[in-house]
Amino acid sequence: MILDPGFNLTLRPMKYPVFFEMYKSAIKNTWTVEEVDFSHDVTDLKAKLTPAERHLINRLVAFFATGDSIVSNNLVLNLYKHVNSPEARVYLSRQLFEEALHVEFYLTLLDTYIPEPSEREKAFAAVDNIPSIKRKADFMFKWMNSIHELDALDTQDKKRQFVMNVVCFASCVEGLFFFAAFAYVYFLRSKGLLNGLAGGTNWVFRDESMHIAAAMEVVKTARAEDPTLFTPKMEADIVEMLKEAIECEMQFAQDLLDLGVAGLSVQGMRQYLQCVADQRLANLGLKPVFGSKNPFNFMELQDVQELANFFERRVSAYQVGVTGSVGFGEDF
Amino acid sequence: MNTAAQTPPADTRRDDAPEAPVMMHVRKRSGQLEPVDVNKIVRAVARCGQGLDHVDVLKIATKTIGGLYDGATTKELDNLSIQTAALLIAEEPEYSRLAARLLSTYIHKEVENQDIHSFSQSIAAGVRHGLMAEKVGQFVQANARKLNDAIDSNRSELFEYFGLRTVYDRYLLKNPETREVLETPQYFFLRVACGLAETVQEAVEFYNLISRFEYMPSSPTLFNSGTRHPQMSSCYLLDSPCDDLESIYKRYTDIALLSKFSGGIGVSYSRIRARGSLIRSTNGKSNGIVPWLKTLDSSVVAVNQGGKRKGACAVYLETWHPDIEEFLELRDNTGDPARRTHNLHLAHWIPDLFMKRVEEDGPWSLFDPKVMPHLTDLYGKAFEDAYAEGESKKLYARQVKARDLYARMMKTLAETGNGWMNFKDPSNLKSNQTGAPANAVHSSNLCTEIIEVTSQGETAVCNLGSINLAKHVEDGRFDFVKLAANVRTAVKYLDRVVDINFYPTSAAAESNKKWRPVGLGVMGLQDAFFQLGLPFDSAPARELSKKIAEEIYFHALSASVELASAKGPHPAFPETKAARGVFQFELWGAAASDPARWEKLRADMVKKGLRNSLLLAIAPTATIASIVGAYEAIEPQISNLFKRETLSGEFLQVNKYLCLELKKLGLWNEDIRNRLKISEGSVQDFAEIPESVRAVFRTVWEIPQRSLIDMAAERGAFIDQSQSLNLFIESPNIGKLSSMYMHAWKKGLKTTYYLRSRPATKIAKATVTAVSTAAPAPAATDAEKIACSLENPESCEACQ
Repeated sequence: MILDPGFNLTLRPMKYPVFFEMYKSAIKNTWTVEEVDFSHDVTDLKAKLTPAERHLINRLVAFFATGDSIVSNNLVLNLYKHVNSPEARVYLSRQLFEEALHVEFYLTLLDTYIPEPSEREKAFAAVDNIPSIKRKADFMFKWMNSIHELDALDTQDKKRQFVMNVVCFASCVEGLFFFAAFAYVYFLRSKGLLNGLAGGTNWVFRDESMHIAAAMEVVKTARAEDPTLFTPKMEADIVEMLKEAIECEMQFAQDLLDLGVAGLSVQGMRQYLQCVADQRLANLGLKPVFGSKNPFNFMELQDVQELANFFERRVSAYQVGVTGSVGFGEDF
Repeated sequence: MNTAAQTPPADTRRDDAPEAPVMMHVRKRSGQLEPVDVNKIVRAVARCGQGLDHVDVLKIATKTIGGLYDGATTKELDNLSIQTAALLIAEEPEYSRLAARLLSTYIHKEVENQDIHSFSQSIAAGVRHGLMAEKVGQFVQANARKLNDAIDSNRSELFEYFGLRTVYDRYLLKNPETREVLETPQYFFLRVACGLAETVQEAVEFYNLISRFEYMPSSPTLFNSGTRHPQMSSCYLLDSPCDDLESIYKRYTDIALLSKFSGGIGVSYSRIRARGSLIRSTNGKSNGIVPWLKTLDSSVVAVNQGGKRKGACAVYLETWHPDIEEFLELRDNTGDPARRTHNLHLAHWIPDLFMKRVEEDGPWSLFDPKVMPHLTDLYGKAFEDAYAEGESKKLYARQVKARDLYARMMKTLAETGNGWMNFKDPSNLKSNQTGAPANAVHSSNLCTEIIEVTSQGETAVCNLGSINLAKHVEDGRFDFVKLAANVRTAVKYLDRVVDINFYPTSAAAESNKKWRPVGLGVMGLQDAFFQLGLPFDSAPARELSKKIAEEIYFHALSASVELASAKGPHPAFPETKAARGVFQFELWGAAASDPARWEKLRADMVKKGLRNSLLLAIAPTATIASIVGAYEAIEPQISNLFKRETLSGEFLQVNKYLCLELKKLGLWNEDIRNRLKISEGSVQDFAEIPESVRAVFRTVWEIPQRSLIDMAAERGAFIDQSQSLNLFIESPNIGKLSSMYMHAWKKGLKTTYYLRSRPATKIAKATVTAVSTAAPAPAATDAEKIACSLENPESCEACQ
């Protein structure tokens, strides 16, 4: 079973081919930081952003500076260690590369947006110094460390502890903190601002969506293999965890929107987070508890096909790893 | 609201009601703080909502206030209400009209606040700020009353939000210091007209044509007409630099000058010696074309077209050039960055012989242009003879399997969308300009719709404009009479651009005076089909598409003959095939539907000549199609629900024809809107919609590409230049692509444009829950089926 302790190496027959397929699809979506065009962002930062929006972006960049690094750590220290399936580990290795890529992307972003070296240093220190960012980091570290002592998932209880860690990082960190961050980026993009950030974020978003799906697949598999894995207490704990994550994120929102940004209100953010949290619950097969609807119409843009203009953006739609051989009889 | 499917019954409050707002204030222009008055906002929105039955004025007002913060400015408030309405367009297309009216009010306020109350005052302000040409200013002041009377503000009612936003953000002339706009949309259209007119009557004629959205000139004309730098041409085509350092560097200068004023560039590099070729003067070996292209790549980025957009350039290479494989890697994501050019577009210039070798699975010889310099200027039999001679003398640098190279080309197309397949022989053999043996077409342009002769002394130029077919359907019938009249007017003013245009280089000026080519195209073919209820590739649709092309060709030629009889034919007319009475469709071996009128035209044409060597080209129309709210060019819809991203932000578009149809069927509701998102804008799996309706509303991913190619070929027989033909394959593989492009070549197409595909993985929907992924139930995510959201096509703006 997928959460049994050990180091399974057997790829044929493949027990969980879904992870291998995910690995293959992820490779097709390879992108590089060099493809992101930041040229308009610098102009926007200097000339177009209001002071309130600039404050928002500075905070956001400070969060991005360390966010993906923490996720990578958890991936190596916990996820990779306990998910005992070689095909899933292949996927997780790929995911680790993507996290590194995101770290590089946000580093480049930071270097581009913040020219002053001492300010850059401060952005990395935000995780200790800025209360709204520290609170989120503390939340992540709490759950990361919660299974630090676990060497092997040899009891059902330990498996549950592990699943809680997976849920934390997939549903609360990638699925809620990052989704909140994406909302700020897409809000600015809906106003035509910071196209480079938005372009790179599109790709990050695409990767993160896949990470969440893979983590959910692990949880789903574990539950299918052990139908008694989830208990009412655990379900209640998950809801509590999401509530706590929302509160962490709300403190961040208060800070970000402190100077007043027309079109993004603090109460709107709460409603949005609750709506996202309900979706995370639904991903886990649990009932929604907040009953909020998405208040941000600009997020709907995210759900719809993009029709970019190549003078303006580089399109993110192409695939790599195309195969086949020359022939003339195929349907098209 | 299109949100989560499961709403608990406990939730009874309106989803868009703000949570008990604290007392809010707005800051007025005077700096004074004033409490927010809900009623005032409601009244302002309601004024713009008159006659729009499906918009909820209160909803806009409350949502606007919900997004406000204490102390926001009234300007922020206005913008927020516009944005709020715009974001509801996918729910109800009428919000697009509401948002457009709110924006229109906003623009008028901005203009009037600068004490501009009429068209002539707007032009005077433009002259004062050094933007408008003096001559145009004088023309307008001399005819102020008549011109002011010609303005019809009601025409702004034709705008959808996206179109008006685009015009406001990018096209209206701005005060150089304050950046406030100096013209309203209607003043803008009349300004463009006055830049091209010789009399008031002409100005009004052209203003009426464009302000009714029946025709739209290309972006450079809209940007620059009437201004001090009237560079109104869209495209420039340059011959390959010669194989020496001076020529190579001179070409960078030419390209920079041409792209500075909004022109898109197509340039060949086929004459440059290949990697490893000897450089006699230094006794070194050449590094081939890649380092030169790297420099071009940087140069293109540096010239940013006045901050309006980046320069854009397509590089053409003939398939026999030994650097072809490295050329194919120029846009790869990986590898040495010094050998990557992410800002250049790549296009092939393929001889028929290559396709024949691919078909028969033969070898393909790669020749260094240093050794075989004449290949670049040859086509048809002369090319094949020279190529065979080179092979028999073993002059090639090396040989590869034709199919291996072809497979590599297909792979690049699938992975980057680039490496456009353009065919050298059909482009030359079916060109009107190659009537004299010395004339050769060396490439197409940035968007692969222009086919014009170039040489070291001649940079080809083309000015473009497109008929909006969406405005040519009346009472369920296509109006060919209106089409004919509009084509003739359009040609008259396209021709006018040739004389008024500002030419950044003398090679461009010389060439344009000699050939006077223009490129009249179309947009909104898909709209016409929707209006007529025709599935895109149905027999009547194909018939109509072909007939439209034939009518346009006939009337464009007729107009050009008329212009020639008044002003004389273009100087190079004797060098053209038209001088011998040859029509484009005859070069394709096709026939016209009404031979008698063509015979009459033939006699006229031979006798009086043509004012323009070329008349028709179907450009991608990206930006002008959004101005008039039509589907692009000849393309099927990408999706029934999609978003547009531009410099002015993102905008959701819903297929308004589908929405109308579903309303008629009583099916337009939140549930279907959510499903439309999950299905990526496809209605094919919606069983409640009748099959005949679903057939009409297929997306381009659901239409066989074979039909698009066949329709392009049928239309192509009446297009003397070419068409920007995008092809779409959801999950491309080499077998599919090689079949498709072989078919395109066999049908005689001159050019093709992007290959579009969709991303391999997709993004989680933020606002709809598709499936619960971690429940222990068996069937969960189907990665293929919920194919990605985000994405897709880019298209060209230089060309429109």
